Amino acid sequence: MIAIFQREFFGILRLRRALVAMVAMAICSGLLVLARWPSEGLVDLSGSQARQVFRIFTYGMLAGVLLLAPAWPATSFVQERRRGTLALLFNTPLSKFAIYAGKLSGVLSFVGLLLITSLPAAAACYAMGGVDLWQDLGSVGLVLAVATVEYVAVGLLVSTFANSTDSAVRTTYATVFSLCFLSLGPHYFLQGQPGWMPLAAEWLRRTSPLPVLMHLVGQGSVGGQGLMEAGSGLPEYLFASVVVTLSVMAATLVQLHSGLFDRSRSQGAITDEQSLGVRAARRVFFLVDPQRRSAGIPFWLNPVMVKEFRTRRFGRLHWILRLVAACAVVSLLTTLAATTGTVDWGVETIGGLLVIFQVLLMVLLTPSLAAGLVSGERESGGWDLLRMTRLSGLQIAIGKLISVAWTLLLVLLATLPGYVVMIAIKPVMWLQVSLVVVCLLLSTLVTLAVSAAVGSLFSKTTTSTVTAYVVLLVLFFGPLLIWLGRDAPFGYDLVQAALSITPAPAALSVIGMPGFEQYELIPLAWWVAGGVTCFSFAILSARIWRLMRPS
Amino acid sequence: MISTAGPVVVTHELTKRYGEFTALDSLSFTLDRGQILGFIGPNGAGKTTTIKILVGLMRPTSGSASIAGADCVRDARRIKRLVGFMPDTFGSYDNMRVREYLDFFGAAFGIGRRERTRRIEEVLETTGSTYMKDRYVESLSHGMKQRIGVARTLLHDPDVLILDEPANGLDPQARIEMRELLLRLADMGKTLIVTSHILPELSRICNVVAIMTKGKLRAFGTLDQIMQAIRQRRTFEVQLVEGTQAAAVAAAVSGGLDEAEQRSVAAHDAEAMVRFQTSRSDADLADLLGGLVRANLGVSQFREVPTDLEDAFLTVTRES
Repeated sequence: MIAIFQREFFGILRLRRALVAMVAMAICSGLLVLARWPSEGLVDLSGSQARQVFRIFTYGMLAGVLLLAPAWPATSFVQERRRGTLALLFNTPLSKFAIYAGKLSGVLSFVGLLLITSLPAAAACYAMGGVDLWQDLGSVGLVLAVATVEYVAVGLLVSTFANSTDSAVRTTYATVFSLCFLSLGPHYFLQGQPGWMPLAAEWLRRTSPLPVLMHLVGQGSVGGQGLMEAGSGLPEYLFASVVVTLSVMAATLVQLHSGLFDRSRSQGAITDEQSLGVRAARRVFFLVDPQRRSAGIPFWLNPVMVKEFRTRRFGRLHWILRLVAACAVVSLLTTLAATTGTVDWGVETIGGLLVIFQVLLMVLLTPSLAAGLVSGERESGGWDLLRMTRLSGLQIAIGKLISVAWTLLLVLLATLPGYVVMIAIKPVMWLQVSLVVVCLLLSTLVTLAVSAAVGSLFSKTTTSTVTAYVVLLVLFFGPLLIWLGRDAPFGYDLVQAALSITPAPAALSVIGMPGFEQYELIPLAWWVAGGVTCFSFAILSARIWRLMRPS
Repeated sequence: MISTAGPVVVTHELTKRYGEFTALDSLSFTLDRGQILGFIGPNGAGKTTTIKILVGLMRPTSGSASIAGADCVRDARRIKRLVGFMPDTFGSYDNMRVREYLDFFGAAFGIGRRERTRRIEEVLETTGSTYMKDRYVESLSHGMKQRIGVARTLLHDPDVLILDEPANGLDPQARIEMRELLLRLADMGKTLIVTSHILPELSRICNVVAIMTKGKLRAFGTLDQIMQAIRQRRTFEVQLVEGTQAAAVAAAVSGGLDEAEQRSVAAHDAEAMVRFQTSRSDADLADLLGGLVRANLGVSQFREVPTDLEDAFLTVTRES
């Protein structure tokens, strides 16, 4: 076990991106504290300024855990399996528990090291006074430590299932963000109602560290819709998180067996060669049969676009149909639950929730589709083959971007029925809804452009996907952290400027979501989005031009 | 279709430098239509660099390279039409069946849909891969992938095929199949440039060999020409009925050789054999053999030790 721990821990430490992550964590946590460090020679006896610094520090640390903790465990097992070293490990006298424990402790030690780099910033918070060492800093540290163990365990579990490192990374990020943010959704809808469903939603919410941390920094009422909560919820969170972590660990240990290598090759079954009965049955059950022989690429379609659709798991038509149907159902259910469940909800709140759902979907989906457009080709050796064809760099770029844009557009369109219901409830909202749709389209464009541009800078898909996630999450959720500190410690102007970085808060402002309605974000947010998109496409074009040239 | 007259591939003083390091040093050679050139050399000899310059993926520091008159740097579009390139990495795409994979590359080469369907069937037939057409590319074995790789390079019917390590990692059966496939392509009039570490394979299919080390071309020509160039002397063995006669035979052989060649004569009593090296003509050797037979020294065999590509390669690389 110690040998695996050493290899895992020192292996990560030798990576350049590990050094970058540590330096970034130390600098960012320091800057967060510096941002609100008192610059005047006045004593703050109430400790309110210290609480403001502590609040920013806490959210920053949570963002750090969410962005950095899943990246390393997500690739751990899948990378070993693809390199063939996992089979060698299984061939040693080490038990699967020892292998797992070695990997878990190795990754946890590194993530722990990352968190330790923020200690000077934490010490500065404490030195300001007004923050209790055990009640405040200790509790936050405990929550973050427990969350880290949980997310690392989730990453390792996903890593045992995944077939490639980039799919492992995006599935891990999607799971971690769902555990942290989406788990809050049902409670938001159902709180205060009788029955078992609100109770289940309450426990689901307990799996997220966000409510506990918000309570610890004095913002426990956000999202409470006026309902008071008894206690911080810390023991409940610890219990829920430990249960989730142990379950995930048990599932990983069950998954770690020689069957991992026992994946038979596809024999290439084709429906066209099956009997008439089978063909008819598949026609009924699969609207679009994935095993039907596909037609050749017509001359009027960009071959790269078709190739991208075909090679992407969710790019095949039957998967796109499923994805779109799922989005449409979720969108309608959200609206239905909101309109029939809580009568005093305004249409604005429903709209706000829809916007948050759509933006979350875009931010989670886009990097997984767009970040590897160029790096995936370079990693697999396909880029040189593409260069040897008659396709120009522009044709390749357009084909790749359109393939992602179409998927995103279909998903976005599928979430729109909720707005139709809103207009039916309150017809005067059609203009607001139109503006929201423009904001969402621009958000989609920004996520696509930024992911593709960031991804093109790297030659490995895993690195490009992780970096694209981090950049997008900082762009889209960083301003929300500043918004959480509106009035204190941040003033109106700063919050407004921060919210203008992406068009998503503008959509929330237009729809009149409580907390956003006072900000005037249009048209500045649109201009910024246009600028960011153009800049990102310029970077992508320059990279593709550079990569197409003889080296 | 390129002209049948004149060389197809021409490189002149081709040089590639990375700072102080010279990956390719003044490489010059020509290759005629229908020939199979075997590019051999140890790792880092400059083979892949040469290939990448020829297919337009890399720019030389100085010198020039052309294929059928098209400059490999300035005339990249024509080069893409003329050359089929199979790199040492396959470049597979997940979730794609073999036919879809070939369909994509056919479309990328601008082949019309109907023509493309016909060509896919043809290249699958040529490479003996028709039975794989509905398999997923990622599920293929290494040997199958290599054959699909060759099929991909044939799609746009190029005149010159450049294959980087096509036999690498193949089992003996797959290697034989690959060899037959390459010979079939040469019969079709294609000009082939093939790199490989498996020298016996290359010696069986190539009519021209280029040996490179440290970025320099050390030997170029047919195997016989190379052997003549690098080995002035041939090796012969005289097999005897009894080992006791070895010393007498060695003395008789030495009498027919000059002073320098006499030092190569070695008598092996245990093996009942005498081995020597000489640059004498076949007529002189006939006289020598006649003398030995007339002296009744118990000669049972008189044979030349065949030299192969491995010998040539080792000699050249040792010298360099």
